[in-house]
Amino acid sequence: MTGDAIVYAVLAGVAIAGGLITVFTRDITRMMIGLGAFLLALAGFFVYWGAVFLGAVQLFVYVGGVLVLFVFAIMLVHRGSDGSPRLETRHDVAALTVAGGVFFMVVSTLQDVAPRGVEGAIDSDTDRIAEVFLGPMLTHFEMAGVLLLAVLVAVVVIVGGREK
Amino acid sequence: MSLLVVSMLLFSVGLYGVLTRRDLVAVLASIEVMLGSATLLLIGMAASSAPIADLDLAGARIEVTAMLIIVLAAAEAAIGLALVVAVARRFRSTNIDELTGLGG
Repeated sequence: MTGDAIVYAVLAGVAIAGGLITVFTRDITRMMIGLGAFLLALAGFFVYWGAVFLGAVQLFVYVGGVLVLFVFAIMLVHRGSDGSPRLETRHDVAALTVAGGVFFMVVSTLQDVAPRGVEGAIDSDTDRIAEVFLGPMLTHFEMAGVLLLAVLVAVVVIVGGREK
Repeated sequence: MSLLVVSMLLFSVGLYGVLTRRDLVAVLASIEVMLGSATLLLIGMAASSAPIADLDLAGARIEVTAMLIIVLAAAEAAIGLALVVAVARRFRSTNIDELTGLGG
């Protein structure tokens, strides 16, 4: 096994373990730790493939922003309960069938077009990202800005009212 | 394990979480896992496939697209969690089995 393959295997293991913890644990704090591990592994994958700037964005926005947002929401929503809040999960065969079916359907369909290897690099640096952002994808960039502004206003409207 | 299997496994795990979890915050966390797996597949396929010869700045375009997905996911999480807080205030519960107002 080469060094790259080991790094890939470790990242894949952490990501899958984090995803499984997020979905299967009954403790809400463990769920957040699992989600954090998954998102960190994702940032690691991006850096592994040479998308260093994207990895940094993932780290700042997801691990630093979204995860903290989740923790705050849990703090606001699950207050007043005794001890650590437990999550209810209703495991049934139908959900397993749907998830397994989607897995096998997509894997068998895309198997021929998906690349076999996991090594490679994305040919980009921050100069080129800026060139794309302010050139061919300027509209997308501005739409994202407008979307974030709309979300900011919407969140204030949704939760800004006085608690009844 | 190939990239396709890893990312689709994560996607299926997230989908299973969305279908089986009964708490709104846990459902949103599972949706984040699904979105993350899709971004992973996008970047991984772009990295390990042959470059598209006639597309200018192809690598940077892929990275910008992934960044836009991250922006959308952050917006979705912010709106979703705001709705969860509003629902919890109104109904004193975030269990989706108890929120049957639209069910009739």
